[in-house]
Amino acid sequence: MAKSGKLRPALDALNNRNFKLERQRKQERAAKKKKEAQAAAGETEGDEGGVQTEQPVAVVATKVNGKEKKSKPNGAKAKKAPVEEPEWETDGSDGEDASDDDMMAGAGIDLSRLDDSESDISGDDEEDEEENDEEDEEDDIALSDIESLASEDKGDIIPHQRLTINNTAALTAGLNRIQLPYSKLAFSEHMSVTTDEPVDIPDVEDDLNRELAFYKQALSCVKDARLILKKEGAPFSRPADYFAEMVKDDEHMGKIKQKLIDDAAGKKASAEARKQRDLKKFGKQVQNAKMQERAKEKRDTIEKIGMLKRKRSGADLTTTNEEDLFDVELDKTDAKPSTDRRRSGGGGGDGKGNKRQKKNEKYGFGGKKRHAKSNDAVSSADGSGFSHKKMKAKTGAAARPGKNRRMNKR
Amino acid sequence: MAAVYKTLSATNGPEKESGDRKNKQRVLVLSSRGVTYRHRHLLQDLYSLMPHSRKEAKLDTKTKLYQLNELAELYNCNNVLFFEARKGKDLYAWMSKAPNGPTVKMHLQNLHTMEELNFIGNCLKGSRPVLSFDAAFDKQAHLRVIKELLTQIFGVPKTSRKVKPFVDHVMAFTVADGKIWTRVYQINESEPGKKKAGVDGEETEEKPAPKKKGKTEFDVSLVEIGPRFVLTPIVIQESSFGGPIIFENKEFVSPNQIRSDLRRTKAGKYNRRAEAIKDNKSKHGELGLTTHGGRKKEKDPLNDSVLFA
Repeated sequence: MAKSGKLRPALDALNNRNFKLERQRKQERAAKKKKEAQAAAGETEGDEGGVQTEQPVAVVATKVNGKEKKSKPNGAKAKKAPVEEPEWETDGSDGEDASDDDMMAGAGIDLSRLDDSESDISGDDEEDEEENDEEDEEDDIALSDIESLASEDKGDIIPHQRLTINNTAALTAGLNRIQLPYSKLAFSEHMSVTTDEPVDIPDVEDDLNRELAFYKQALSCVKDARLILKKEGAPFSRPADYFAEMVKDDEHMGKIKQKLIDDAAGKKASAEARKQRDLKKFGKQVQNAKMQERAKEKRDTIEKIGMLKRKRSGADLTTTNEEDLFDVELDKTDAKPSTDRRRSGGGGGDGKGNKRQKKNEKYGFGGKKRHAKSNDAVSSADGSGFSHKKMKAKTGAAARPGKNRRMNKR
Repeated sequence: MAAVYKTLSATNGPEKESGDRKNKQRVLVLSSRGVTYRHRHLLQDLYSLMPHSRKEAKLDTKTKLYQLNELAELYNCNNVLFFEARKGKDLYAWMSKAPNGPTVKMHLQNLHTMEELNFIGNCLKGSRPVLSFDAAFDKQAHLRVIKELLTQIFGVPKTSRKVKPFVDHVMAFTVADGKIWTRVYQINESEPGKKKAGVDGEETEEKPAPKKKGKTEFDVSLVEIGPRFVLTPIVIQESSFGGPIIFENKEFVSPNQIRSDLRRTKAGKYNRRAEAIKDNKSKHGELGLTTHGGRKKEKDPLNDSVLFA
């Protein structure tokens, strides 16, 4: 164990050892040992005593201890009742490589207590609760520890669910092992920026505000990074004439553009359609009003004409009699469009279109469909279709000229 | 003794020579079998954003993950980004420092790839991103570890082979609701006066003044590129794909559990109804209202047939 005075501190510096922390832990360890000694006087503690020395050689010894414990976990657990959290110990010691935290873990320290000593850990209270639970059921073992046991031991172990693990010491040790030396690196080597204030998102379900918070965080970081990079003289923005392959190729960008255009077109089209719909709705009213106006105008003019005619007929009966009659007849037909006597019930309303009216007449709309063409009292009394001219007229066959005549006509 | 001396001189020697050290990272990116097309597209997106990454064929096994260490060594990678698909729908992301850890296992949710997002942002293939972290990452030990892993995996080192020297995008990681939300934005620089230059060319001529001093006064804006995803840390292991578990997220509920709970609540509806029907039947029987079985109805002493019998 002879060592030169220079090498030791250098090696320690290499391993990132924190002497202050170690000393504190050592004190804790000593206190705990005392407690253990009181609780279980007969228990052997020689193996743990070896770890207490701070020399790096002791690491090997600890490893051996860890393996011994691992090989007989059930027996050890049964007699180690006074020791708090035996699971923790085996957990910490069996897999770690030869770093200094191996010492701490292997020496049987209550790791959760260590956690308590670190101020920055959250959820300490829950962990304490967990501890209490464990003391209640000391015979079983955490589910997460089963994997570290030998397969033949797995059979007779009843696992209990969900032991919360937050081994801060191991986490920080791991972090120290992999962390980039940020103080030595130039910013342009790593280019990672952390915000000063934690991003506060009151409601993660609120998409808009959440994305806005992300955007703001990124933007502030970019501004900082840009300043630092400019100061370091590293290139930042791409010159306008620098062309290279992009993450999204032209085809992809074309697709995106097409999608944007389609979206815009769709929006425009829907707006147009809505406008048209509104116009139609309004247009119908306008049309109705116009029709009414036209009808009114017509009625007025007809009335006027009628008045005029009456005046005239008073003055000169003979000359205008025929015209007068003709006009009146027209008026009548205009005012009361001829309706089928039977089928007019639901059919020819004023609002209906011409086509609809015709169809209603043809196929029927409401009312009885039977006996539509048979005579009744009204129809037989109706003489409107009668014309004596027609009665006297020649038959259809006679009206048609003979073939010879017809051929000659051609 | 000699060994100690050797290690000391070996690590100290080059450090003194080079002055400031280089950040060298290589990432092995691969997935397990059974990924869906969206998972595959995400992998593709990440690969295109990470010029220092090496893509590998799908890993056949889901249990023997320690094989990844050998794979990483084979390809000289010191980081592994492994996507494990389960049941053809759940995706888990493993991030690891290859030879000796730590490893973080995370559940990947809310996945949207570049292709389906249709964002107009774009960036150079092989440019280096600015990594933006929420300050909440420094608050807890496990988040610090995750932050370091994210920095080393997603940060593109200066010396990478296919790297381009400009910075035109930013990767943002934010902690919200116990999850890590990831976004990628393009950095858009424009001179304040020139902002509307694309719309009409006249405006650039009108404002020549800001151009002169505008060297530093750029307007920086961001345009999202994609992809988007959310990571929930589940477990941190001390070594690479193995070793003791040093962190376990107690708030994490596995998607299987969620699905089974949902199914159970649905089944509960039927069970409740069936039980209610059964109850109703027995109640009716007890009141003597059923035709078969149950208790016979008691004769009413005030019934007409009893009174005037």
